[in-house]
Amino acid sequence: MPNYVLLLRNDGEAWKKLSPEEMQQKVEKYLAWRNKPFVVDGAGLVRDTGRVIRAKSDGGVSVTEGPFSESAEVMGGFYTIEAADYDEAVKLSLDIPHIGLGTMEIRQVMVYNT
Amino acid sequence: MQESGSPVLLEHLFRREAGRIVAWLAGLLGSANLQLAEDAAQEAMLRAAQTWPFQGIPPNPEAWLFRTAHNYAISFVRRSAVFQGKADALVAVLETRAQPTLDLDAEQSLRDDELRMVFMCCHPKLAPDVQVALSLKLVGGFSTEEIARIFFSEQTTIAQRIARAKRLIRDQNLALAMPSSTQLQQRLNSVLKVIYLMFSGGYAAHSGEELIRSDVCLEALRLGKLVASSSLGAPRVDALVALMALQAARLPARTDASGDLVVLEEQDRKLWDDNLIALGFSYFDRSIAGDDISEWHIQAAIAATYASAASSAEIDWAGILEHYDQLMELTNSPVVALNRAVVVMKVHGAEAALAALIPLDGNNALQKYHLLPAMQGHVLAALERFDEATAAFSAALQCDCTLPEKRFLQRQLEMVSAQRHSA
Repeated sequence: MPNYVLLLRNDGEAWKKLSPEEMQQKVEKYLAWRNKPFVVDGAGLVRDTGRVIRAKSDGGVSVTEGPFSESAEVMGGFYTIEAADYDEAVKLSLDIPHIGLGTMEIRQVMVYNT
Repeated sequence: MQESGSPVLLEHLFRREAGRIVAWLAGLLGSANLQLAEDAAQEAMLRAAQTWPFQGIPPNPEAWLFRTAHNYAISFVRRSAVFQGKADALVAVLETRAQPTLDLDAEQSLRDDELRMVFMCCHPKLAPDVQVALSLKLVGGFSTEEIARIFFSEQTTIAQRIARAKRLIRDQNLALAMPSSTQLQQRLNSVLKVIYLMFSGGYAAHSGEELIRSDVCLEALRLGKLVASSSLGAPRVDALVALMALQAARLPARTDASGDLVVLEEQDRKLWDDNLIALGFSYFDRSIAGDDISEWHIQAAIAATYASAASSAEIDWAGILEHYDQLMELTNSPVVALNRAVVVMKVHGAEAALAALIPLDGNNALQKYHLLPAMQGHVLAALERFDEATAAFSAALQCDCTLPEKRFLQRQLEMVSAQRHSA
């Protein structure tokens, strides 16, 4: 079965509206979802600006802090799941309690058929 | 994934730790930096909520939250211009108590931090409703939105109230320290009042919000126990804890499946929480150890009398009436007088209850309080004065009350009108 990567971006302002109790309820729902058998992998990303590496016109390399501001949606982490197709991947992802707290992007992981 | 065992967080861990972290950091940074303490606690919760879903719960979630809040506070003090000149000193203070190990000593010192925070929230310069809201926010870890839901207020009203209180704390330098011994007893009394106001706020019957309401009751009970187990413990504190535990025990039986009120005598006693009843009685026993007799003692004695009856038919109403007489002598409160009238009816009948209600007519404190006309209606109906009873229940329905209360009154009104037609 193909793998799909779900990229989760956080809307900082939406998160800040939650009370501690509501945050805990969210965490519990995420973890319950994460423990489902179709979830292959996942990792969180440290919430900082990160680094962006680009080529410079003079042939050198530029390293800058990420273009992320407090209000912009920041990549929070990713999950890898197994699903038959995009329809199923979307259906499984709708159970993540992330709706309203940012966006989710789903991409199929490419494999070569040998 | 690797850790496939279902991880479990302690119930209310985030809410509880938010309060403890604020009390701890504010204790280190001083009440002038209350906002930073709150921001650091919120940041720790946010980071946990945004990373734990992927990484799983860390081995020691409490320590993780404390460490994250502590690191945030240090880096904020270092980079913010506000702390110019004072930054090094504040960082040094923060580093003296880096990362509590959460052993027994640390646990005790955290309790002291919380206690100081409760006492600051109950400072006499703050109005009682502000004291309640601030305690729920800073110590209880409730959000302004949740507090607004509990007290049926607008969120902006609660937010402004809390903001004003925090400004006052900063501007007037209200310290996070226990009051001096001359004021301590007085402040303890207002702390007990605030804790009971908090409890009553949660206990008031409202439809739909049962969970958050019982959370507030249990938070008030927890704060009562916190004070009782501290060096400030006194028989009247034990009495308050007993009262709250015995009343909280009845929460599951107080509304039926459709959210309607069930009066005490009709409650299914099997639904009462046995652990809370046992807790209530053990605190009640401790409370009568000294000579101290407070309002809380008598209220707890009333609750204990209800709880110790094997069935509603066996309630010792005469004993309860004696307690109410004592309570009247002590408080002279119109609300107590009204509740006493209910008991008078049980012991001496409706005529006597009607007589007991007469002095309350036109009492300012009971204006708009639906229970006075409701009780008048109840008594008048028992005396078969149905027209007057109908008028009284209709008046009760004009008062501010919650939906379950309205439905209850509506049912009474219908019963009276049925009796009138069959009479």
